[in-house]
Amino acid sequence: MITRLTFASRLGLIVVLSLIVAWIGSTAIFYIATGREDGESRPLPLPRQIAAIVQLLEQAKDSNERSLIIRAVSSQKFSVKLVSALPLLQTPEARPFELRARLLQKALGEIGGRPFSLTFDAQGGHDKRPPQFSYLSPTDLELRVRLSTGETLIIQGYHRPTTNVYGMPIGFIAGLVGTLTGLIALIIMHRQTRPLARLAARVDQIDFSGLPTQLPETRSAAPEIRQLIGAFNRLQSRLAQLLRARMAMLGGISHDVRTFATRLRLRVDHIPEGLDRERAIADIDDMIHLLDDALLASRAGAGELVEELVEFGQVVRAEVDDRSAEQAHVHLRSAARHEEAVVLGDRLALRRVVANLIDNALQYGKAAHVQVDATDKSVCLTVDDEGPGIPPEQRDAMLEPFVRLETSRNRRTGGAGLGLAVVRSLVEAHGGVVNISDAPTGGARFTVSLPLFHA
Amino acid sequence: MRANANLLIVEDDPVIRQLVADLMRREGFDVEAAEDARGMDDALARRRPDLIVLDLMLPGEDGLSICRRLRAQSNLPILMLTAKSDEVDRVVGLEMGADDYLVKPFGPRELLARVRALLRRGGSTPAVARERRFSFGAFVIDLDARELVDQSKTPVALTAAEFDLLACFVQHPRRVLTREQILSWTRGRMADPFDRTVDMQISRLRRKLDAASPSAKLITTVRNGGYLFTAHVGQVS
Repeated sequence: MITRLTFASRLGLIVVLSLIVAWIGSTAIFYIATGREDGESRPLPLPRQIAAIVQLLEQAKDSNERSLIIRAVSSQKFSVKLVSALPLLQTPEARPFELRARLLQKALGEIGGRPFSLTFDAQGGHDKRPPQFSYLSPTDLELRVRLSTGETLIIQGYHRPTTNVYGMPIGFIAGLVGTLTGLIALIIMHRQTRPLARLAARVDQIDFSGLPTQLPETRSAAPEIRQLIGAFNRLQSRLAQLLRARMAMLGGISHDVRTFATRLRLRVDHIPEGLDRERAIADIDDMIHLLDDALLASRAGAGELVEELVEFGQVVRAEVDDRSAEQAHVHLRSAARHEEAVVLGDRLALRRVVANLIDNALQYGKAAHVQVDATDKSVCLTVDDEGPGIPPEQRDAMLEPFVRLETSRNRRTGGAGLGLAVVRSLVEAHGGVVNISDAPTGGARFTVSLPLFHA
Repeated sequence: MRANANLLIVEDDPVIRQLVADLMRREGFDVEAAEDARGMDDALARRRPDLIVLDLMLPGEDGLSICRRLRAQSNLPILMLTAKSDEVDRVVGLEMGADDYLVKPFGPRELLARVRALLRRGGSTPAVARERRFSFGAFVIDLDARELVDQSKTPVALTAAEFDLLACFVQHPRRVLTREQILSWTRGRMADPFDRTVDMQISRLRRKLDAASPSAKLITTVRNGGYLFTAHVGQVS
């Protein structure tokens, strides 16, 4: 699945994931730090401060002095109250409380010891969670200390999340700016990789048989990408040149060989009539057949085939009829509607595919049972013979050039071994598939399926 | 068949020319030979043959163009010799004007049979210039009058460029044409291969054809920017 991601989305994913990791990380650090603070002193005053407050309040002469002390020690973070005869509460047995209670005990012990209780804010009472989760969201604490005067000192610590001047948590704006920067970087990065996507699209479209299409060197692209495009353009012209040269050479060879073959064919008639003359004529025919095969296969490889609408079933019928006229054992089974199946391809190449398969079946399998079937998406040609069949391990090799089932390259028993390779290269050039299997008649079965044309 | 029918052989390979000439002379024909278009014109100026055996691949003016030129002037039977088997389809096409063809290498007997058959027909090809009117789908196009009519015989208004494009499609039906091919056929060698106006003209032409005959989908775009004219084109008189 990862292989399907484009370069841009991979980079995007990396950026988004690292932003998420950064946020999670900083939040975790924030809470761990807050949690540690919670366990120490805040939001209550330090134990010794509390002890000092207790002493001050107990030593105060009148209520006026007490209210002064209370005002002095109150702050944004905790409210201090003095109430007469309020009962103490049960200190929960949980880590933050125990630790604090121990420290308080020690601090109050220095001034003679006072009974106290440490709980969640009883009045607020909003937090019903077990205290170990108070790390995640520290809640208000309430400390009650019984003074020697009989009154109860209540110190409530409010948890205030750390905020900045705008009232937002510290780091929020930094995170926001970071995210926005990341997104902008992502967009810019995407723009940077777009020339690569365009390059790939254009490379796919290149048709070496036509004029080389130069890929545009976008000025805004990175120098490396411009270099890549330039290099690709040069490679393309070199390849096109090479292909043109090869096709020209093949065309030249083909023309000249045909010229020589024509001379030879005309001269052969001077040989006295008989077996030699027949054989000489057959040799010339084989030679030209081989030449045509090779030329066609190389054109298919170079993408030089013509593309036209071809009624495949009619091509098959024509080839079968030609051979039936020569009393060959060829039989065609095909429904009329299958003959209407239209394929986009080179008529000559398709004719050669059918001809080679039928001739192959006749030569090695004594007979050819030909069938054409069409489905919604493809048309399928099946050629069965009555020969010995082809062992499964040799089937792939059969479709390679110059491989024949017989090891001897005796001309009398067959061609040069190019026929099936030509079939394969032509069929594949048409986006089709060739398969070899066993025929129900016991011989070999060749199956060719070609995609149908849809307007 | 007349005795001593007069043949003109146009073939650039001296050996084949000689072999064919010798063969035909042995068979009792009167044979002249030329190696290219110029030699052929000289021979034609001296005497009008009964049949021309013409090679497709010639130095200078090629057989295809010679064939069209001869056809424009006369109904002289032409037997075309081709070296490439894949040329055959085009050679026998409507436009070529050759009366028969033979793929190299050919045997003496095949050649004689074709020559005799053509002579027997004796230039029976109609001398009138071929009508260049074709029907496709619901339309009829007249390439000479430059007119396109729909099924109700109403003319469809096309610009000159659109008509040229349609003419190009009608003459190469059911075949994928690349932008480069269309350009070189409609505008000749001066075409700029990066010219994208063809795509726009084709989409305008397509709209006009669709408007006159909806759901016909005559022009299809195929991968790699090629165009395909899907209709069967028939000649009408």
